[in-house]
Amino acid sequence: MAIDPRHVGRRYGPFRSTVCGERIRDFATAVAGGVPGYFGASACDAHPWSVDEESAARSPYGALVAPPTFGVTFAMQPFAQAIVDPEIGIDLLRLLHAEQEFEHGAVVRPGDVLTTTGEVAEVRAKGNLDFITVRSETRNQVGELVLVGRWTAVVRNQAVPG
Amino acid sequence: MKKLADFRAGDAFELTRSADRYLPVYYAAVSGDFNPIHIDREVARLAGFPDAILQGMCTMAWLADACTAYFGDPGRVRRLKARFSRPVVVGDSVTFRGRCVAVDGGIVRVEVEAVNQRGEEVLKGASAEASFQE
Repeated sequence: MAIDPRHVGRRYGPFRSTVCGERIRDFATAVAGGVPGYFGASACDAHPWSVDEESAARSPYGALVAPPTFGVTFAMQPFAQAIVDPEIGIDLLRLLHAEQEFEHGAVVRPGDVLTTTGEVAEVRAKGNLDFITVRSETRNQVGELVLVGRWTAVVRNQAVPG
Repeated sequence: MKKLADFRAGDAFELTRSADRYLPVYYAAVSGDFNPIHIDREVARLAGFPDAILQGMCTMAWLADACTAYFGDPGRVRRLKARFSRPVVVGDSVTFRGRCVAVDGGIVRVEVEAVNQRGEEVLKGASAEASFQE
């Protein structure tokens, strides 16, 4: 079943998220091969300004800095909601993340209160594949643009192998 | 801390990361993406994969780490993009080989190839830009 192009313009949000230093640290640690959470403090090669508060305090930012893809924690909701939206009707088992673009504005630090909105920006078909792109826009508590995301999923419409 | 004058077109950098069985679970916890295709081997098999597959955004986070290590500052990244051309399956390693392609107007631009342990590309069109304007 192809995704109906009439869903372009469908909006999600606003979603609010308060940034937590522990989550920045756990995110950067897990991605870099460490163990997040209480059994953490394992070796990882994350950038020190995202995991080490003392090092970050001496940085130009004065506090932990979110890594460039931390937006997944606060800006993915419009994309996730579109994927499970019964009106759009995507089968999760046939879905993969196909493409991702971020444009970054103000840096993200602990205590920031971020507001994200999003909309279905594009629906297109290519052979047996359907693509859906959701554009997200996030601003911080002083109205600065923090992140614009373009999140594209592909739905495989051929029979699942096996 | 690096300055604009420290970057030259042609600079090269490299990072290798591996997806063990726990990584998709850890990444689910820190990102919020608990799609069962990343957590449950049986669900991944139903979807046609040999094992659980890593969240594409975790591969992208690896890409960002490779670029951030070169830029020297996670707060200066202005753009980041990639296409996920092949899933990263539990047990895979990915090597990111980046190259600075331009230093222009305070912007440092890099392009990155990402291949698994079999030499297959897992990302296409991966690139990043960082701003070193004062």
